[in-house]
Amino acid sequence: MTGAVTGSTGRGMTELPRQAGVASAVPARRGSRKIAGRRRHRDNLIAYLMLAPVVILLIIFVIIPLISAGYLSFFNWSFYRASEYVGFRNFVNVLQSPDFLASIGRGLLFATMVVPTVMILAFLFANIARGLGGRIAGFVKTSIYIPTIISGVIVAIVFTIIYDYSGGVLNWFLGLFGIQPIAWLADPSIALPALAVPEVWMMFGLTALIMLAGVLDIPDSYYEAAALDGAGWFKQMTYITIPSLKNVILYLLIANFTASLQEINLPLLMTQGGPLNATLLPNLYLFNHFTQDTYQGQPIAGALLLFIVLGAISASIFAVLNSEKAVDG
Amino acid sequence: MLQGILISAAAPLGASLLTACGSGTPGQPAGGGNSSGRKVINFWSQQFEDWQSAWEKKHVAAFNASQSKYKVELSIVPADAWAQKLKAAQAAGNGPDVYTISYGNIGSAVSTGSLVPLNGLIKSQYLDDIDPSIAKFVSAKSTPSSSLKQYAYPWLVEPSTVMFYRKDLFQAAGLDPDKPPTRWDQLPDIAAKLKKGSVYGLGTASVAADLSWSSWGLQQNAAEHYPVKTDWSSADPTITPYAKLAEFYSSLYNSGGMPKQALSAYADGTPLGQGKLAMQITGSWFIGLLRQQFPKLESKIAAAPMVSIDGDQTRPTATLGGWTLAIDAKSKTQDGAADFITYLLASGQSVMMDYFKASGWSKYAARTSIVKAIDADSAAQADPFRKIITDKIVKYGVPEATYPIDLSTDFATAIEKSMKGTSANQALATAKQQMNQYITSNKLAGTNTQASVQSGS
Repeated sequence: MTGAVTGSTGRGMTELPRQAGVASAVPARRGSRKIAGRRRHRDNLIAYLMLAPVVILLIIFVIIPLISAGYLSFFNWSFYRASEYVGFRNFVNVLQSPDFLASIGRGLLFATMVVPTVMILAFLFANIARGLGGRIAGFVKTSIYIPTIISGVIVAIVFTIIYDYSGGVLNWFLGLFGIQPIAWLADPSIALPALAVPEVWMMFGLTALIMLAGVLDIPDSYYEAAALDGAGWFKQMTYITIPSLKNVILYLLIANFTASLQEINLPLLMTQGGPLNATLLPNLYLFNHFTQDTYQGQPIAGALLLFIVLGAISASIFAVLNSEKAVDG
Repeated sequence: MLQGILISAAAPLGASLLTACGSGTPGQPAGGGNSSGRKVINFWSQQFEDWQSAWEKKHVAAFNASQSKYKVELSIVPADAWAQKLKAAQAAGNGPDVYTISYGNIGSAVSTGSLVPLNGLIKSQYLDDIDPSIAKFVSAKSTPSSSLKQYAYPWLVEPSTVMFYRKDLFQAAGLDPDKPPTRWDQLPDIAAKLKKGSVYGLGTASVAADLSWSSWGLQQNAAEHYPVKTDWSSADPTITPYAKLAEFYSSLYNSGGMPKQALSAYADGTPLGQGKLAMQITGSWFIGLLRQQFPKLESKIAAAPMVSIDGDQTRPTATLGGWTLAIDAKSKTQDGAADFITYLLASGQSVMMDYFKASGWSKYAARTSIVKAIDADSAAQADPFRKIITDKIVKYGVPEATYPIDLSTDFATAIEKSMKGTSANQALATAKQQMNQYITSNKLAGTNTQASVQSGS
């Protein structure tokens, strides 16, 4: 740039003042660029400083443990004696364990029971709540959010009481119709669905509120235009609501799927993984091995394999929903 | 300016984060701490009954007042948080100096080098006072060529399987309360007879998590050994006695007298106290619960040995579970920890007699001298439960299985499958395959540090 300006000095005299003006502007621009550069530099520094606590925490609590876990998974890790290097034996043992593989399959089944139910209920709620106004909307939103802030441990205790065989609310209610008590948590065929109910209850509040926020974010003009074109409720939902919620649905699917696959409080407290391992979900399998195994390599290898499974599931959901377009849109 | 503010704000944040991350679980490493010039001994105890916590606090304070060299700091940890808290602390090198450990876990702790032998730390006269049959439970060889040493000091023993029943409900059902059943095949019919309305005839373990350890006594009753070989080289649960055991549990579950879903965990005798069950199989610790929470029911409840496969009640029906104190191998105050164990469990009689009195004689002593003292105590002699449990159950009790609990869970899963419809032989064949796969995968063969106390197949 500077060279181009000085190279024009052979032009007519009339250009001189402009050239002189340009020449005098150069240091000014340089100065403003320097100021802008300093400002950018300062902004970057502030940004890095503000990010630093999170990055430090991530390094301490995620990155270092992950690397450390990867390293330890190749050992029979002992806290008191030199750990023994075992190569891939811990991974082989986990992959050969029918209980681990079954727990992954069971976790997927559990997530399949929970996530679509939560999503459909939340979608219906969001569409109903969208039309509510004032105090009623506030009351309804607060009410459905309450299960989200209740501890999973408390939920497990409450539902254990509900499912109690003798004296439980559910069997008492069924007894009014002459139905014999049902072993909700001891019958292998119904124990997992019985655990899915409190899981849905816990997930519903937050999912519904996020879904509602997404619904409220859709401009009314879309619906007005569609209505003028004669689109009914179903077409508006199919062509406007659902496509506009694509990002929200994507987030909720991934978050809820991974959360339900990793559920541990409910099976740990309500069934201890029984009956006949019918509620032994992956994290409970790992937890049991962490607390029971003499050496710790195998539970760590199992946790890393579960990490891969969760990552693969999230990637699959991303791929199926083709999120990039939606995010940009 | 802004930068300066941010940096000065970030500095204490970072410092506080680093401080927080650097602190150990209780704030200091195992042993070596210092409190007013006294070396700190961290003592972690699992949480048991309230009266036991009170007894621990009382005698920890008394020990601290009795000398000026050490200070014991007691942490009472809930049972459900125990395993993860202890493992996390040990992994970080912040484990306790002294901690409670059950008999069944001593072997694996010795195999990983977690415990220090007490020989040389505690005077031999106190080690010799341990009942010889119980001394075996705490003895192990750290390697096959090592000598047998004692790695924990027994606190108490309690049989894990006792048959408690309501005498009044026996009478109401036309049964003689003074003649409880003695054979396996009698129990299902009696359970069915005792079922009246919402009161079930019998409660016992019915899921693998509970059956894994609560069925050990009956495994010994059936086969006189555990399904895993003493050297842990293989397992065979498919023998006829174990098939009969699985069928016995199945007959109970399907008798009509037992609820299809347990009213409580095996260790919790509350349903019997609440009147929801006429009989309950649980551990002797129920006596403490009965006296603390359901005192009005005490006169209506009796205890009897668990039914035996052939009615011979000199066969074992219960394992002798219980608790000990052990010293962590990384403790820097092993001498002080040994002094504390000596004070609390091993020397004199007053501290332990105070414990057994507080238990309402529902726990059983592991020291010869204390057994004699209890036998001479008039209040203990008058206790209706103690004589039956001491003479008819503890006398024939056997040690808990010390191999990894996964193997017991595989076996218990076979029992549970049998209860829920699978044939016993088929379920046990699956268990055999799973148990042997576990043994091979984890290279268990030859790793039993307590081969001298196990009765494997």
